[in-house]
Amino acid sequence: MSGSLLLQSVILGLLLGGLYALLAAGLTLYFGVMRVVMIAHSAFLILAAYLAWWFQRETGLDPLLSLVVTVPLFFVVGFVMQRLLLARLRPATLTMMSVLLTFAIALTIEGLLGYVFSGTQRRIQLDYSGSSLEVFGANIAVVKLIAFGLAAVALLGLWALMKLTRFGQALRATIQHPEAARLLGINTDRIAGFGFGLGLATAAIGGTALSLDSTIYPSLHWHWIGPLMAIIVIGGLGSIPGAAIAAMLLGVSQSLLQVPLGTTWAQTVFYIALFATLMVRPQGFFGGRLAQRF
Amino acid sequence: MASDAPAPEYLLELKDVEAGYGRAALVLRGLTVQVPPSSIVCLVGPNGAGKSTVLKVASGMLTPRSGSIRVNGVDVTRNGPQDMIRSGLSHVLQGHSVFKEMTVAENVGLGAYTVRDKALIAERTDFVKTLFPVVADRWTALAGALSGGQQKQVEFARSLMVSPQVVLLDEPSMGLDPKTTSKVFEQVVRMRDAGIAVLLVEQNARRALETADIGCVLDLGKVHITGPASELLADPQLAELYLGGRPAAVPTT
Ligand SMILES: Nc1ncnc2c1ncn2[C@@H]1O[C@H](COP(=O)(O)OP(=O)(O)OP(=O)(O)O)[C@@H](O)[C@H]1O
Ligand SMILES: [Mg+2]
Repeated sequence: MSGSLLLQSVILGLLLGGLYALLAAGLTLYFGVMRVVMIAHSAFLILAAYLAWWFQRETGLDPLLSLVVTVPLFFVVGFVMQRLLLARLRPATLTMMSVLLTFAIALTIEGLLGYVFSGTQRRIQLDYSGSSLEVFGANIAVVKLIAFGLAAVALLGLWALMKLTRFGQALRATIQHPEAARLLGINTDRIAGFGFGLGLATAAIGGTALSLDSTIYPSLHWHWIGPLMAIIVIGGLGSIPGAAIAAMLLGVSQSLLQVPLGTTWAQTVFYIALFATLMVRPQGFFGGRLAQRF
Repeated sequence: MASDAPAPEYLLELKDVEAGYGRAALVLRGLTVQVPPSSIVCLVGPNGAGKSTVLKVASGMLTPRSGSIRVNGVDVTRNGPQDMIRSGLSHVLQGHSVFKEMTVAENVGLGAYTVRDKALIAERTDFVKTLFPVVADRWTALAGALSGGQQKQVEFARSLMVSPQVVLLDEPSMGLDPKTTSKVFEQVVRMRDAGIAVLLVEQNARRALETADIGCVLDLGKVHITGPASELLADPQLAELYLGGRPAAVPTT
């Protein structure tokens, strides 16, 4: 592998890792808040990508503008989904049943997308789709940089929300000790709903970022959920920083392996890393105490 | 604090309470516990008697199936924990309940989640820091990195941030060293003297009854005996059954 190709792969990997990190953050948030395994996360991701594509086709405006609608919309949908569906599952079997429930939701979304937009592959065409920038001698598509910027800003916002606001504190308290949180006057049910909304909002942002430079089709979400699941387990279930670090590392690994192995085989890096993690350190690498309590 | 109505006889009153978890059998079967202002009521009884359940019903974590709960004379039977806090109630759970991945400062700050007045929060923060020096010393540390007894002190500090009228303490001395235990009991007495009603659950029954004003012996979800703590302590039969032997102070003939 030549030097510049190597550099290009690393940069592309980091850019991809940023998107993985954002999406994994949402996924790990659901699990932290209420031990829910949210299979439909990536289906919502593709749904948001479709909405961005459709918005651009109908209005001719920049697809990034669709965020103004999709982010609040997904937040509300997440909140309602948690309150009306997931909160009704029996606590004893919650994690397992949530897999079935969200699997069904994923299939429903996929079916609806196929029905409304047909199974045809879609791709957004923008004025700047073809342009690229030179970064340290590597050629990087502008849309990839925008997608990464979007993910980075969203992650930073999520971090600030969790760390610096009253809501974030209440959310973290709810994750760490729901009973004690309730006793302090925190409405843990509502906070859990908001946490879910927040998770789904990451899917809205991720989907828009994805739509900028990917070809989308209704069943694309199956392609994403595996790697994302692997990332949150490796990062330590429930740990957002853990998920972000694991996402970056795996994004780069995947990108580097793509050159000698091709796209399909490069994906196996997620599963190999997953197996290795489960053998060596089943609680994940960055979750620490928090993860062990799950 | 100033109210025109005559002060109610009890700050906290649970009357004929029946409660249980989910569809399982009742845990509390018609239980009555009354806590007058400026007094410490101590619940003692064997494991599984339902002591923690009494506190959970009192703080709104568990809704009773029948019976009533009054705080300060007001019926709050169906209220959840949020409303209970507003009525001036604070509950420290059995075992450890700090937020381990948050700093001591964040833990104590969350104690004042329902308080909006910044000056008041600052004042109370200073108060709990003086009361529990370890809280001040480890202010920026992660709560999970503290020892068990230190975590317990963070929990007390957190619970005092609302300056409660009624305090529910579930086995506060568990895992504390003798010096800290004494300090906690001292603080309980000080709260009582300040007019607060304390409902205390303790395995260290003798010690607790020595501090308390009123004792309640709980078994199988009912109050078996209630009376002045000193009388319960002196009763040799009770001592045999619930306090692990005869009281040392009573000479045997
Ligand atoms: N969350 C729960 N779900 C179902 N049953 C419970 C729950 N908590 C307690 N119980 C049951 O209620 C009964 C009383 O429990 P409780 O915790 O009130 O006892 P306790 O007197 O506090 O005991 P200990 O001294 O061991 O703390 C027990 O039989 C227990 O099995
Ligand atoms: Mg108990």
